[in-house]
Amino acid sequence: MRFTLPPGPPVTFKARLHDARTATAIGRWLGLAMAVCFATGVLSHYLQHPPGWLADRLPSRPYWGYRLTQGLHVASGIAAVPLLLAKLWAVYPRLFAWPPVRSLRHALERISVAVLVAAALFELFTGLLNTFQWYPWPFNFVPVHYAVAWLLLGALLLHVAVQWPLIRDHFTRRSPGTLALPAADGPDRRQLLLGVTAAVGAVTLTTAGQSVTALGALELFGPRSPSHGAQGLPVNRTAAAARITPASLADWRLTVHGPRPYTLTLEELRAMPQHDVTLPIACVEGWSKSAHWTGVRVRDLLERAGGGADARARVVSLEAAGAYRVMEMGRLYAQDPLTLLALRLNGEELSLDHGYPARIIAPNRPGVLQTKWVGRLEAA
Amino acid sequence: MNFRHVTGGLGLACAAWGGWLLLQQPEPWRIAVWLGGAVAVHDGFIAPLVFAVAALAAAAGLRLRGVPRAALIVAGSLTAIALPALLRPGGTANPTVLPLDYLRNWLLAMAAIALFTVVHAALHAALRALTRRADRGA
Repeated sequence: MRFTLPPGPPVTFKARLHDARTATAIGRWLGLAMAVCFATGVLSHYLQHPPGWLADRLPSRPYWGYRLTQGLHVASGIAAVPLLLAKLWAVYPRLFAWPPVRSLRHALERISVAVLVAAALFELFTGLLNTFQWYPWPFNFVPVHYAVAWLLLGALLLHVAVQWPLIRDHFTRRSPGTLALPAADGPDRRQLLLGVTAAVGAVTLTTAGQSVTALGALELFGPRSPSHGAQGLPVNRTAAAARITPASLADWRLTVHGPRPYTLTLEELRAMPQHDVTLPIACVEGWSKSAHWTGVRVRDLLERAGGGADARARVVSLEAAGAYRVMEMGRLYAQDPLTLLALRLNGEELSLDHGYPARIIAPNRPGVLQTKWVGRLEAA
Repeated sequence: MNFRHVTGGLGLACAAWGGWLLLQQPEPWRIAVWLGGAVAVHDGFIAPLVFAVAALAAAAGLRLRGVPRAALIVAGSLTAIALPALLRPGGTANPTVLPLDYLRNWLLAMAAIALFTVVHAALHAALRALTRRADRGA
């Protein structure tokens, strides 16, 4: 039996602007957003799970570094949503190219585009849902979001390489390919691009308030709001979720291990030299908020235990279980004078949900590593 | 060897690395289903919906250009990023997660966009009528 192809495609498109100039103009911005999103994402991945050789080299400054990069990660991902949808609109008719496959090369090209589209939609979808703490899928978000990011970067680089002649010929309004398109489409295309720009601005302004405090009044759709939360700070893991109760803290002592181990009561901790710092909590989900913290320098506690000037720290929380119950702190964080075992937040004793009686606050680190309900500190 | 070969080769290497990482996950076929599902939902539902709106508008004699089209793009984009907050089932970990009234905010945003579009169209029509009258007077 011979299979014969119908003479024409099942769908045809009459609409204008499904051309290489529109795709290039949007693609440039989409590529930029994805590059920022990838770079900040990989950075966050290594800050959160540093391999051994890197742990002591991670810098604790600038103190606002992670707040900026993770804010950018989420903001560039959100900005990419209208850009990706517009880009796919521009090239959608190519889905119905006829005949569907012309050659082996054409088939490989179409497969690589399918991988690119799948990875791009997947990353934006899973990333967006993660900021809402919504996980409807049957896999582990962190390693899969990370793996598909590499797939997306690879497919994107391959796409740029394959399409380079088209991109180059349509890169500006005056490029030869652009000039060969119907001139009457020019104003219409500029209006379309203005509309997409407006959409990027709108999604950014209505969500950026979760990390840019000055934009708080415009925040309509951010999953966190800096103005909500006890003591002026949102919470991720509550004491109840960590199974911490006031009763379980009744005989609380801080144990510090090292060459000269010791224990301290809360009163003794309060009697040590206290320091005030202003540092943000910056969550991997993108929200961040600056706060005033008061407490004892971690390096003072390590030094008293006989840890040298290059001591690193292991911090153990009292929570019963949790992926971040034991936190490793590299040398540069542990020795930074801004790194505190904080007892007070914004002028008040820490609330139970913020880590009473003592929590870690360090500069330039993801929020999950700002360990709450600290019970043990080890100089290493 | 030129720029395209280097970029393409780098792309293949990165994609292979990502694919290898995916294969290390338990039951990678489940991830493949979600990757393919994302394309199916976009190509089979979201994109046809956009083209259907344009076709319906055309059938009704409306040309979706300029500000009305931009308004639809902005409204659609805002809806896309607001949908998780509007649809997410179940309670949240604590009251600081999803603390805003997202339905009210979404309705406000849609109303503001609609108002802007209508006011813009009215101003545009008024301006055109004025210039036409001025032209006739001259």
